[in-house]
Amino acid sequence: MINTFDEKILDEAQQWIEQKKTVILATVIQTWGSSPRPIGSLMIVNDSGDFSGSVSGGCVEGEVVRQCMDLIKDKDKFKKIEFKVSDESAWNVGLACGGEIAIFLEKFSDAA
Amino acid sequence: MQLNILQEIINLKNSKKEFSVITDTKTSKTYIFFANKPIDINLKSFETEINKLYNSRKDGMIKDSDLFIKHYHRPIKVVIVGAVHISQYFVEYAKPLNLDINIIDPRGYFASEKRFPNVRIINLWPQEAFQHCPLDDKTALIALTHDPKIDDPAIHEALKLKCFYIGALGSKKTHENRCKRLMENGFKEDDIKKIFGPIGIKFGGRSAPEIALSIIFQLMTEIYKK
Repeated sequence: MINTFDEKILDEAQQWIEQKKTVILATVIQTWGSSPRPIGSLMIVNDSGDFSGSVSGGCVEGEVVRQCMDLIKDKDKFKKIEFKVSDESAWNVGLACGGEIAIFLEKFSDAA
Repeated sequence: MQLNILQEIINLKNSKKEFSVITDTKTSKTYIFFANKPIDINLKSFETEINKLYNSRKDGMIKDSDLFIKHYHRPIKVVIVGAVHISQYFVEYAKPLNLDINIIDPRGYFASEKRFPNVRIINLWPQEAFQHCPLDDKTALIALTHDPKIDDPAIHEALKLKCFYIGALGSKKTHENRCKRLMENGFKEDDIKKIFGPIGIKFGGRSAPEIALSIIFQLMTEIYKK
């Protein structure tokens, strides 16, 4: 049997939209090697920089928020971003676990 | 994702439906997919691959396409007999889990909506309650009244309909007596052995919230085994 947890993130996105916020949905669409969160994991970001949910174990969320904020200002409605193993420099954003992930960012809008 | 699709996903989740969401990563256009409904014309050429991923319930990119599929699973039905203190904590802890909880208790003062806001409560004896809330092999039955008048008929029904998880509250002695009664009622030893009694994973806690936690842990373990 497959159980998932009852994700409330889309309900939260809906509440933000009702508050007239621009909201981006981030979805983990591909993973290679060991990745902290499975494919299908969701995170949302709004134009105030608030975020909810997760796409990693906290390793790349900060960078995802920044990319989402850029997308909010952009005329494009979506983009794909990738993160690889973090290198020697501890200041680099990356996955310490040695995995790779691809994340799809998309705006909620009237039409696709 | 289109706003009308977002609303539709929320509605479908609230009505406990099983479906998938397909996103075209080249356009961000999103589609809702049901196994028993005709597929959108734009997805037609990927139908075989979509069905393959749908049947395996795996989230991921659809082979040789720009399409991503994510599944929304129907919650697992849990029937609790006894609107008792442990059940209140069970409901509280199970909130972030994808469980569809139904509580049966013929005693009106236990089965009050004030004690269980936002939970389906059936204020009837188990035999009558099961007409409104039928059991099957995909349902879990948790008996918590430790009153044989209420628990026993529920356990009978759960054994007959082969619930994937049957747990019953009570000490070892209480459970031994329960097993004896079940034998007298013609149930086979092999089936009776499948009942988790005393219910829950042993970790030392005996308070209502701790027992609730130990039941959830045991139930989730069984869910992933099946």
